[in-house]
Amino acid sequence: MKPIRKRTARAIVVAVAAGSLALTGCSNDSGKNNSKDDSKSKEDAKAQSNPVAYGDAQASNGPAEAVPGAKSGGVINVYQQSDLTHMDPGQIYVSDAGQFANLIHRGLTNFQEDDKGNLTVVGDIATDSGKSSDGGKTWTYTLKDGVKDEDGNVITSADIRHTIERLYSKVIFDGPTFVQNWLSGSDYRKALPDGPYKGKHLPDSVLETPDDKTVVFHFKSPQPDLPQALAMAGYAIVPEKQDTKEKYDKAPAALGPYKISEYKAGKTLKLVRNEQWDEKTDPVRHQYVDGYNFSNTIDQESQTKRLIADQGEAKNAIQFTDSVAPTQMSTVVGNPATKKRTIQGYQVYVWQLTFNLDSAKVKDKKIRDAISYAIPNQSMVQADGGRYGGEVAGGLLAPTLPGFDPKYDPFGKLKKPNGDPAKAKELLEEAGFKKGTKLSYAYSNTPRGQAQMVIIKNALNKLGFDVQAKEIDRATFYEQVGKLKNPYDLYMTGWGQDWPSPSTVITPVYDGTQVADGSSNYSHIDDAQVNSLIQKALKQEPEEAATTWEQAHHRIVEEINPAVPVYYSKQMQLFGSNIGGARFSTESSYIDINDLFLKQP
Amino acid sequence: MLQFLIRRLSGAVVIMFLIGAFTFFLFYTIPQDFAQLACGKNCSPENIAVIRENLGLDKPITTQFWEFMVGIVSGRDFPQGHCSAPCLGVSFDSGEFVWDSIMDRFPLTLSLTVGGLVIFLLFGLGTGLLAAWKRGTAVDKVVSGASMVLSSFQIYFLGPIVLSLLVYQTGWLENPKEASITDDPAGWFMGLLIPWIVMATIFTAQYTRMARSTMIEQLQEEHVRTARAKGMRQRYVFFRYAWRGSLIPIVTIIGMDLSALLSGAVVTEYTFDLAGIGRLAVTGSLTKDLPLTMGVMLFGAFFILILNIIVDLAYAYIDPRVRLA
Repeated sequence: MKPIRKRTARAIVVAVAAGSLALTGCSNDSGKNNSKDDSKSKEDAKAQSNPVAYGDAQASNGPAEAVPGAKSGGVINVYQQSDLTHMDPGQIYVSDAGQFANLIHRGLTNFQEDDKGNLTVVGDIATDSGKSSDGGKTWTYTLKDGVKDEDGNVITSADIRHTIERLYSKVIFDGPTFVQNWLSGSDYRKALPDGPYKGKHLPDSVLETPDDKTVVFHFKSPQPDLPQALAMAGYAIVPEKQDTKEKYDKAPAALGPYKISEYKAGKTLKLVRNEQWDEKTDPVRHQYVDGYNFSNTIDQESQTKRLIADQGEAKNAIQFTDSVAPTQMSTVVGNPATKKRTIQGYQVYVWQLTFNLDSAKVKDKKIRDAISYAIPNQSMVQADGGRYGGEVAGGLLAPTLPGFDPKYDPFGKLKKPNGDPAKAKELLEEAGFKKGTKLSYAYSNTPRGQAQMVIIKNALNKLGFDVQAKEIDRATFYEQVGKLKNPYDLYMTGWGQDWPSPSTVITPVYDGTQVADGSSNYSHIDDAQVNSLIQKALKQEPEEAATTWEQAHHRIVEEINPAVPVYYSKQMQLFGSNIGGARFSTESSYIDINDLFLKQP
Repeated sequence: MLQFLIRRLSGAVVIMFLIGAFTFFLFYTIPQDFAQLACGKNCSPENIAVIRENLGLDKPITTQFWEFMVGIVSGRDFPQGHCSAPCLGVSFDSGEFVWDSIMDRFPLTLSLTVGGLVIFLLFGLGTGLLAAWKRGTAVDKVVSGASMVLSSFQIYFLGPIVLSLLVYQTGWLENPKEASITDDPAGWFMGLLIPWIVMATIFTAQYTRMARSTMIEQLQEEHVRTARAKGMRQRYVFFRYAWRGSLIPIVTIIGMDLSALLSGAVVTEYTFDLAGIGRLAVTGSLTKDLPLTMGVMLFGAFFILILNIIVDLAYAYIDPRVRLA
């Protein structure tokens, strides 16, 4: 899950924000005010990093546990900076659309979250989280009774087949590809080039639907993570009768508690109750409010100001996937009444200073280690909202992953959060470093990217490097640094898990077999031992795999060092005073959209 | 007159074609792969090829340009369905027909423009005339001073202050929002009141200064002095002679401001979280969305050209010495 890749970057917002600074007294969270520091610490991360449990048929039954004090009725206003990237489930991969998907789409499985943030994979429209056989190569799902789309069509196994097979067609190009790859290999499109649209289907040896209620997946190798993969919005159901191909992205049919009543691209989206949704079939979602009104033009600064003021319609409003504006952070945490209306927690992202391992200037590991020691992580956090926006990272796996070790700190950043320049100089001397060596540092032209560029440039110039800062348009940043032959030595990148397993972080970012143009292996790391550990872990059951992933992680950070762990991303969101049931969701890293209601509808 | 209109409209069509061609080919000088920009996390070569095919980027650039231009006249077919003329293509980013997006945003832009225009013309010209009438008095000094100060303000500065005072601090007004003038006229008016006030404050100050200076200039003209010498009433001379003469520079500026506002009041829209043509233009530009950028450029160019023609016609009406030949 590539982070912070907003489709619509907003240079104009800088100008607007400049005006607003006059009103806020240029406030930011310096970390030095007198308010009590109750930002989430790594100790709190335990709840977010517990292993995911697998739910049986009983856990998969609806209705979902009632939220205490919940009332029915009213409409929640949703503030968003920009439009949803996609609404067709097959195209959904990023967080805003994923959060939205929980309101209207349903999949075979879903994550159920208890009040402590522990996750259980349960059957969503399936009766359980899946039954595996043949050593994990075969997975069988049985559909629940009474699941219908918004027009009252009963969902059958043919719809599941259609959902999977359409992902092979050219209609879909932006969603996850895990299941397709597992079923048909990396060139899966060749197995069914037109998807199901010209009457062809995957053979029963790959995907079987023996009756209306049963779906069987046959994989070439064990796939223990299938229940979690199927919980992704990208695998939510597209009923065969409702599929309008390219048009579906603008007008999808709902299976969830809400359906679309009006959509104006780039502006507004209105959801109303889906009368065909039956709470008895859904163990996760509620339908407390009558609907949601999305405004997709309200920037982060404006969202925060509106919610701090808590006037009129803002009382019924929430931040959906945006967070409190860094410039307003101290206003929010400094006012107890406002702070009561916040939720916070770790996001799935780890920001890292990635080395281009193909560059001769950073080939020597001692040079990379020296840079790693020198980076002032705490200052980098300050540039991204302070203690409520991030936390100094020890490793490359986020606190949201099972097995996260809060004490893991090979570069001593917990003791010296602003780096150890003396140690860095020592290592550079050992490496025979020549002063004045030019380093090309690429950064995104966001306010945060620009602030962090100054910090990195200063830190490395003090060591004797001559840092050449190269600004890249935020819209194309990942495209530029994702090129195999990019001209840069260093760049800040971020990555987050697709589901709570290191497999969705270590495999895409550090697997040497994935080095290619446009790949997310931004450092081009290709280490035989790491690659072998990845292959081993992917075939193991989650409990057993945890040790293998840990070995791979240690090998990557300590023995290869393709990227400096800089900080774990955190999230703080505001909501209006009339919103009930607000809490941070471990699964989405945002406000839990399933439990919301209005205190006074 | 008819000959004048035909000549100017024909010229406008040629200019719009040239603007379209220039924008289109300029876009392709940017060293970026639009398919890769539209590609998400799984940006495999296969996915890029699929996007390229879906967006029509696999065709030669000249073919793409020709198809775009033909679409404006006769419509085009896309996987999303038939795009009727004037078809401005499908947005790379949103997948919407660009014409539909523009038409969806235009009512807000039109409302902002017309509402603002009414306020700043009434107040701007009114106070300017008053200052000219009372030249040298305390009224003139207050009006001139205030307009000097207010015209130096910017929307992105004044807007947040007004929002803070009227919305966040006091709750007297709701946040600006768009509502349909036919379905909810009260909501439409109240939703745009703050943007109108802010926009009009700045424009009013500019029109005040301009109206005052052009009127003072006109009042010193010989034909005005002659009219006074003939014993005509001061009010008659002021409005019948001086005012008419001062209209030409004012109409020119109104035409320019109007075409700029109808092409999109970018800063106003972003300051007040509104979605009009201006936001669409910025989105298209930042996301390197060629069809959207082309569409908004041509739409804006249309208003600039049409308003130029209207202003030229107005010149002839205001001053009979101007010929339309």
